Amino acid sequence: MKEITFDALRWMEEPVRIKIFPDGEHPRGYFQITSPREVEGLCQGRPVEELPRILSILSPAHHLASALALDKLFGVEPPPLAVTMREALLQTLFFENHLRKIYFLVSSRFDPLSSSILPGNGTQGFPPSPHILDEIMSHISIAREAVTLLGGRSDHPLSAVAGGVSRYLKEENYERLSHIYESCLGFSLRLGEFLRQEILGKDQALSDLGAFSMAPMSFMTLSEAKDTVILRGGLGQELDRFSPDRIFQKIGLHRESWSYEPLAYIQDHSGGPELKDQVGLQAIFHDRCFFVGPLARLNQDTALTPLAEEERQRLLGDRGPLPRFDLSSAFWSLFLELLQAAEKMAELYKKENLTGPEIRNIPTEMGREGQAALESPKGLIYHHYRVDEKGLVTDIAVLDTVTENNALRCLLTQKTAEIALTRKHTTQEMKNFLELVLLPF
Amino acid sequence: MNDFEPKILAFLCNWCSYVAADSAGVSRLTQKPNVRIIRVFCSGMVDPSYVVKAFSLGADGVLVAGCHPGDCHYISGNIKALRRSFLLKKLLSELGVEEERFRLEWVAASEPQRYVNLINRMIEEVRQLGPNPLRRSYPSAEKEKNSRLRSHGL
Amino acid sequence: MPKKKKIAVYAATGCRACEQAILDIHYQVGSLTRWAELSFWPYILGSEWKKLEEQSEIDVCFFTGAIRTSSDRQAALRLRDKSRLMIALGACAAFGGLPGLVNMAPSEVRKESREETNGPNSRTREKGEEPNLPRMEERVSALSQVVDVEYFVPGCPPRQNFLWAAIQAIAFETESPVRLSFSALRLPQAMAQAITSGVLPPKGSVFSGERAVCASCARTKEKKQFKEFARPWQKDPDQGRCLLEQGFICQGIVTREGCGGVCTAAGLSCRGCFGKTDEVFDPGPKMVSAVSSTFDSDNPIEIASTVDQFVDLAGTIYRYTLASQCTLLSSP
Repeated sequence: MKEITFDALRWMEEPVRIKIFPDGEHPRGYFQITSPREVEGLCQGRPVEELPRILSILSPAHHLASALALDKLFGVEPPPLAVTMREALLQTLFFENHLRKIYFLVSSRFDPLSSSILPGNGTQGFPPSPHILDEIMSHISIAREAVTLLGGRSDHPLSAVAGGVSRYLKEENYERLSHIYESCLGFSLRLGEFLRQEILGKDQALSDLGAFSMAPMSFMTLSEAKDTVILRGGLGQELDRFSPDRIFQKIGLHRESWSYEPLAYIQDHSGGPELKDQVGLQAIFHDRCFFVGPLARLNQDTALTPLAEEERQRLLGDRGPLPRFDLSSAFWSLFLELLQAAEKMAELYKKENLTGPEIRNIPTEMGREGQAALESPKGLIYHHYRVDEKGLVTDIAVLDTVTENNALRCLLTQKTAEIALTRKHTTQEMKNFLELVLLPF
Repeated sequence: MNDFEPKILAFLCNWCSYVAADSAGVSRLTQKPNVRIIRVFCSGMVDPSYVVKAFSLGADGVLVAGCHPGDCHYISGNIKALRRSFLLKKLLSELGVEEERFRLEWVAASEPQRYVNLINRMIEEVRQLGPNPLRRSYPSAEKEKNSRLRSHGL
Repeated sequence: MPKKKKIAVYAATGCRACEQAILDIHYQVGSLTRWAELSFWPYILGSEWKKLEEQSEIDVCFFTGAIRTSSDRQAALRLRDKSRLMIALGACAAFGGLPGLVNMAPSEVRKESREETNGPNSRTREKGEEPNLPRMEERVSALSQVVDVEYFVPGCPPRQNFLWAAIQAIAFETESPVRLSFSALRLPQAMAQAITSGVLPPKGSVFSGERAVCASCARTKEKKQFKEFARPWQKDPDQGRCLLEQGFICQGIVTREGCGGVCTAAGLSCRGCFGKTDEVFDPGPKMVSAVSSTFDSDNPIEIASTVDQFVDLAGTIYRYTLASQCTLLSSP
């Protein structure tokens, strides 16, 4: 059987291709990122204060991480109102991102635009439910509207700058934001009921996938105070904690000739310095892999807002104790964070929280280095810049979730391919399987 | 040795530098032949876009020569050219065209020798710099739909 | 009931914001399918290339993303072959976008990123085949530098009203002016007339305004003169007054309007994501000319020291348009 190529996978945010070589007993699956990102090429030589606008193409949360890094570089603390506005923006981004993934999940068996079943969908389906899809879509839209109000623009926000945010909200915005959070919160509860009834916790709905589980793996999250990165192992035990600026000492980047993005892995510090060459791909897959994102945060077991905590209890009751590595929990954790984001939006959007005397503290001097870490909707991200005396970027390192979860997605591809081949799936079935397995990451 | 012959495009103002160039010709002062002249009414008329277009079509150097400050026929046209020249050089050098390829000079009508010295020196300096680093845009010059240039034998 | 138009949507190298903008249209993405059939959309429908081959013709293709690799180029050629109309959606497809900035990066940086993944010195090559990657091209190109493009919908991300106007005008070819949003008022006259009469606008039309952003920017403009250039981190702009007059470089003067002045309303300078206006030959020298005209001094030393404060002119002016609108660095 010759190689199988999938280059039109749904829901992939970056250009992706999967190739499967079904070589009898040892099939191989490759998860390839087929276009480079070239952050250094884009950013070197740019004035550093432009970076929040440029880096927002990686994902909107990078805009906020960049602003945090600039705060450090310029040695300024944003005033409380700016901090709240940025946080409100971040929570809205969580809501939008997770809701979109849920939209994809709910519509996975059919064409969401015409409600007709997509051909060749062999696995048992979720019933087509256009009414819930319309509601989901309209809430994604109003979340984007909220992002525009708080951030200036929907996909590539503008407003976070060095030392604060760039403009106040207008009077009429408060009322609109009120309306938005009420709608989102109410809808999240209804969505929860729908999801619990139809999809989550019901193995038969996700069929093969409900039972699909990754091997226990290390995971990485950021503390609430944003000052500590916590690495935990496959049993949930804490392996390491360190300040974010040491992240590139703790993780390495491994390049393969078949992907434009490197794979991040955990460096071993048990004995002596380690040469890059010695860590081969198999070693990484064996025990150096880690991942980030909603499932990692679920396993981190931090305190949640009330409704989200209730939801977590339901999850634990249905699926079992932490840490969890099954796909159903991965999707459930998306919903959980969505609920939490809605609750936080409700709190942060209140007018008294979004008013204040100042939105920005102007820096008086410029340092030479800045860095920041942030939990973005897809996982932990990190920015590090160095500038020259004119404030132009000389060095830049950005750690994005695509790199961090690259090894995980490679492993998932491999495992899914093996299962699909063993069960003699058709190509279409294999494709849908891959899409769903990779969706929450 | 180096058989590269630079092509310099010179924008000369009608009231001063063009007259100087003309008298240099009439007086048979020795000049190198690498210059193509475009007569404009004032150095202030030279939009930076013309300079950029000249470089994109393969010019190795561009000269803008106007009246000395205070002598401009239109009072302050040459000052406008002066103000533009700094940012223009900066932009050109960021895009890979060395600053020395673009020059803004003042030449009075009565200074044909000054004009000739300037030209000769500039040609040599540009020769040292080598061909226009953006020469790969030459194929685009061929496809250039502006066939008026070609029909004039330029 | 007129026959449904077939629409294709494809993303080359970029983010997914343009496609998400299509999903987000007026909260009613489902209503799109009453008039059009989305027959090829890998992001949402997982459509494979063979599905494209099966179609006899696509009516409209919305192409997003810049051309970075050989597979992007192949995709553009294949879609051009099958589509009656190609629309470059978003700044990346229209002008090269932010990925285009790489064309200006120092050659060591570019060479490094190519060798690390394409080179033969990858240390983990196992026995047996390994898949290869589409090769990176020498430079980033906009869609129009690779294939003929009929229409452009610029912006990063494009604005809802123009996207909707493009879809309605081109995909629906509807005759009722009621269907069109106020964007028809903002479109250049020729286009608006074409659209409201139900015919296709002239080839090469850009779905945006004709004038510069200054026309729609809400800030007041007084005298254009500034002594000192300011970087955005150095001072908080006065929220009512033109940014250029306060010493910040703002691309609004050379950029097409249509965004409604989003960035300037948010307190930040325009960076030109809608591309240059028709009257401007090249935004770089135009900005040089415009900014220089605000200088006050006659003295070369003073002017030189003012100019010294300006940094990264090319990266700022050509932020979204380096690949196709910078004459010095682009080959058509």
